[in-house]
Amino acid sequence: MAVGVKVVNRPGSLAQQAYLPAIAEGLGVTFRHFVKNFFGNVTGNRKKTDIATMEYPEEKMKYPERNRGLHRLMLRDDGQVRCVACMMCPTVCPAHCITIVPEEAPDGRIEKRPMIFEIDELRCVVCGLCVEACPCDAIRMDTLDHAKPTYRRVDAILDKEELMSRGIQSTAVQGGVGAFWRERVGGQPQTPPAGAVVPAGAPHGPTPLRDHGHK
Amino acid sequence: MEYGSLAFQALAATIKIVFMILGFLMPLASILTWMERRESAMMQDRLGPNRANIGPFKLWGITHFMADAVKFLFKEDFVPPKAHKFLFMWAPIMAMAPALIVAAIIPFGPPLCWNELLEKNPVCGQPINLQIAQLDVGLLFYFAISSLAVYGATLAGWASHNKWAMMGGLRATSQMMSYEVTMGMAVLGSFLVYGTLEPGAIVAQQTHIFSLGHYHSSWGIFLQPAGFVLFLTAAIAETKRTPFDIPEGEPEIIGYFVEYSGLRFGMFFLGEFLEIVVSSAIMITLFFGGYHWGNTIDNALLSHLPNFVFVLAMFGLWTVKVFAFCGFQLMIRWSLPRFRSDQLMRLGWQRLLPISIANVVATALVVLWAQQ
Amino acid sequence: MTTTPITGTPPSPAPATELVTVTVDGKTQQFPKGTVLLEACNQMGAGVPFFCYHPGLTSPAVCRQCLVDVKGQPKPVPSCYTPVADKMEVMTKSPRALDVRRQMLEFTLVNHPIDCPICDKAGECLLQKHYFDWDAKLARNDGIKVKKAKVVDIGPRIVLDQERCILCTRCIRVCDEVAKTHQLEMADRGDHEVLTTAPGHQLDNPYSLNTVDVCPVGALTSKDFRFAMRAWELYTTPSICPGCATGCNIEVHHSHGKIQRLIPRQNDQVNEHWMCDEGRLTYKRVHAQRLAAPMSGGVPVDWDRALDDAGRALRVALDAGPAQVGVVMNAQSTNEDLYALARLTFDHLGLGKVYLAGLDQGWSDDILVSADKNPNTAGAMAIGAGRLRTLLDLANDLKSGAVTTLLVVGTHGVIGKDGAPGALPLDRLTTLVVVGTHRDEVTAAAKVALPLAEWAESDGTFTNRLGMVQRVRAAVPPAGDSLPGWEILSHLARKLGATMEFTEAKTVFAEAKQKLPFMKDAEWGRPLLPVQLRFAGSRG
Repeated sequence: MAVGVKVVNRPGSLAQQAYLPAIAEGLGVTFRHFVKNFFGNVTGNRKKTDIATMEYPEEKMKYPERNRGLHRLMLRDDGQVRCVACMMCPTVCPAHCITIVPEEAPDGRIEKRPMIFEIDELRCVVCGLCVEACPCDAIRMDTLDHAKPTYRRVDAILDKEELMSRGIQSTAVQGGVGAFWRERVGGQPQTPPAGAVVPAGAPHGPTPLRDHGHK
Repeated sequence: MEYGSLAFQALAATIKIVFMILGFLMPLASILTWMERRESAMMQDRLGPNRANIGPFKLWGITHFMADAVKFLFKEDFVPPKAHKFLFMWAPIMAMAPALIVAAIIPFGPPLCWNELLEKNPVCGQPINLQIAQLDVGLLFYFAISSLAVYGATLAGWASHNKWAMMGGLRATSQMMSYEVTMGMAVLGSFLVYGTLEPGAIVAQQTHIFSLGHYHSSWGIFLQPAGFVLFLTAAIAETKRTPFDIPEGEPEIIGYFVEYSGLRFGMFFLGEFLEIVVSSAIMITLFFGGYHWGNTIDNALLSHLPNFVFVLAMFGLWTVKVFAFCGFQLMIRWSLPRFRSDQLMRLGWQRLLPISIANVVATALVVLWAQQ
Repeated sequence: MTTTPITGTPPSPAPATELVTVTVDGKTQQFPKGTVLLEACNQMGAGVPFFCYHPGLTSPAVCRQCLVDVKGQPKPVPSCYTPVADKMEVMTKSPRALDVRRQMLEFTLVNHPIDCPICDKAGECLLQKHYFDWDAKLARNDGIKVKKAKVVDIGPRIVLDQERCILCTRCIRVCDEVAKTHQLEMADRGDHEVLTTAPGHQLDNPYSLNTVDVCPVGALTSKDFRFAMRAWELYTTPSICPGCATGCNIEVHHSHGKIQRLIPRQNDQVNEHWMCDEGRLTYKRVHAQRLAAPMSGGVPVDWDRALDDAGRALRVALDAGPAQVGVVMNAQSTNEDLYALARLTFDHLGLGKVYLAGLDQGWSDDILVSADKNPNTAGAMAIGAGRLRTLLDLANDLKSGAVTTLLVVGTHGVIGKDGAPGALPLDRLTTLVVVGTHRDEVTAAAKVALPLAEWAESDGTFTNRLGMVQRVRAAVPPAGDSLPGWEILSHLARKLGATMEFTEAKTVFAEAKQKLPFMKDAEWGRPLLPVQLRFAGSRG
């Protein structure tokens, strides 16, 4: 025997070596499936079969509720864009697909808003980090839709108006949780309300989160 | 036209040939190409091709084979620049023709009684055998011709001027040689039992499904169970399908027809399915009583139906058998994994061949004992 | 904060002061007497937080954020207001000090609007930093915050947000102590106390943007930079302001090849912590009206073609008569560019008619602003070594026909010398070759115009009015096809048959340093990669 060759003694009775019982068993499995699916299909009773095929143009997959899909920009009560151009989403975006150019809003109550808000759906990796980063519930990916195919690349870049066209009024309170939130939610003082920003891993001692190298 | 005259015989033979090829083999093989996909899909909890339609008639997608044929027709007939043009063009025909030729010896129905077409229980003074060629060397003819199919594979591999195709052809050759011997030995048992090589005569004997009293007239499967398994194995190996698809290995290892496209590839493809049909028919002839369905049914039909209706009914029943056997072969192909090349050889030479020899010896002893 | 190596007049050695020994959190070190305790603590790594303290300003100790425990004192003391004393024992992290500081921070945050998403200071905000470093808890107060005025226009360059203001008074002290004007004040009392302009005043002093820098939160924002960019998206490169001969040390903040703002960088011998508002806007010219591609005969060509044309034109003129060939240097150029031009002009070509151009004189004060609006006049004069003539001479020479061929390197101020364009009769020239940064009258009139990199796009040194050679660093890539001056001149020299092989600005500097006495102490410094503010931590 050549160097380095390890002979493994295959276990196996005569029945195993003869293949035939195993072949019969395997044929039994496939035949069972065949019979079940064949007769279920012929009689038009698809529900009793195991067939998983979805006949696409006629039947469409329903996305699960938490599916991350096409972006949309949520609206304020007065229909303006909710986004305040804080740049959290382009900062966190790993694909650099979000372009925001901020501007000063004429409405002094809002102060800052996006002049340009573009998402390149071709570059987007659908990670959802922008939604998590958004402090205003302004960007969401819950449209249960996916980016549409386009003939030109530039058509895959969605502008603010298109993103807002899918938007609705958000139920979140504009401007954070607001005053007297404890009374409104009726919770314990230590329990943050839904939507309150809790710094992850926030220390409750004097230990700094990290050394800023501040001089 | 007088029965028995040369013209009558020639006309009958021509009709039988045309009917066999155009009316039976080709349609069945074509439908098998669709059926294989549908059946495998059903086994794997899928739907399979069900879209092709003629106008509003979908027919479960059965017309996919027509769409395939049209596609093959319109594809580029590519010939590699350095290929051997002549052999390259002839190899697919050589792969397909043997299956058609072998079909000549298969009996596909009881004799038609020419002058008693409307009689019940005919005396059958002027029988027309529903068998294209009634050869005394029948089974030997089958071996002789069917083993020629390997030339198609080998020449295709060689003529393609492609080393992978070449090696696929060589694998085909070695596999054919290994399993041809076993196949011959397996049939030898049937020959000993029935005492003839002529398929028509073999079928004619298997009038009972199983009868201890008339064990001579039982189906071959009960007289030669080991022979059946051996023949089935060897027949699948001959058709070069999984688990013996080493010569082709379409998904990964490249086979002998890698350079073929369009209709020429279609001929290989169709040839494979023709082999399935023919080998199924042969197996039914040898081991499942051909067109017989047991003494009771046969006699009942014979005595209650006009002769030509009876013949048609028997042909229909035979077709059902062939069809079921084809389906069984497809099921094997989609259930079993492929053998490795060395496993294939070991199985052929070290397992099947000794068993088949033992089977022949044992059969011979039993037959000898029974005659005394 | 890094400082570039300063040479020239070395700082006079500090008079020997008495040293005192201070123990901070168990570690002992000696400090000069008079050192502020906060500085001492933070030099030893205690990281004491503060809002109102600024090293360049007086300490009012109003924010109470720097309270530390000193042994023997009944209460925590504001470390920014306490000088070190001998054998002082300081506990910056005693439970009492931590507790009182956290309470002060909470108190500061009671009425702060926490509108960080739209606040320009977010990312470089001291309040954010201290909150995350020292507190990082949810607010206990959930009442209504005191409303104050939000977008208040208090000056031509500044917008005030009174809600964000934490009343540290740094900005008031900047106006009082740096700009010497009292333009800001506190008004009202308690939690209604607000920052506002002094009656009858606007925040319009020439140093007003320093209030934005020192503001620890986003209460004061620059109109120029407002909403342009988040702080963490910026990269920073240390450099020198090109606005005047003072040579304030600055940091260039840029992003994606575009300068977003200039902020001062501490250098106690030049500008301390400050710079003027005018200097902050000098970056605008880097991105406006730039000459992007070499031009020959008014059409854009590639560099090879342009250099060929320039070399051929100059060659013809030189062969015809070197006496009629003039060269214009520019006081906006770096020492390296000027040295390369001087070598080509004086050493290789032996030309005599060399003129110095530069921006016009402007206003000045005795704080930082210099009347000479060119950053490198001192360097140009030293390199010219008395051989330079004025633009007035050039105008006369052009009119008399003494100069028929001109090579201009740097076009700043070449035309505007006498106020009206065309005061220089450039149309009298037979050949004008220009190496220039902008599309202006000079490059438009040129036979061949070669694009020159601006100060923020090339490495080099400036010599300020004190004779200090200070390092300028390339922050953004050169606009279009433009190249640094020394590189263009090297190529041009090769076309003219001279050998002047410079491969990088550093080699020019090294040669100039050997040849020129005023640069003998100058240092090039380490190469620096641009640092993203995202990783540089908080400023302020």
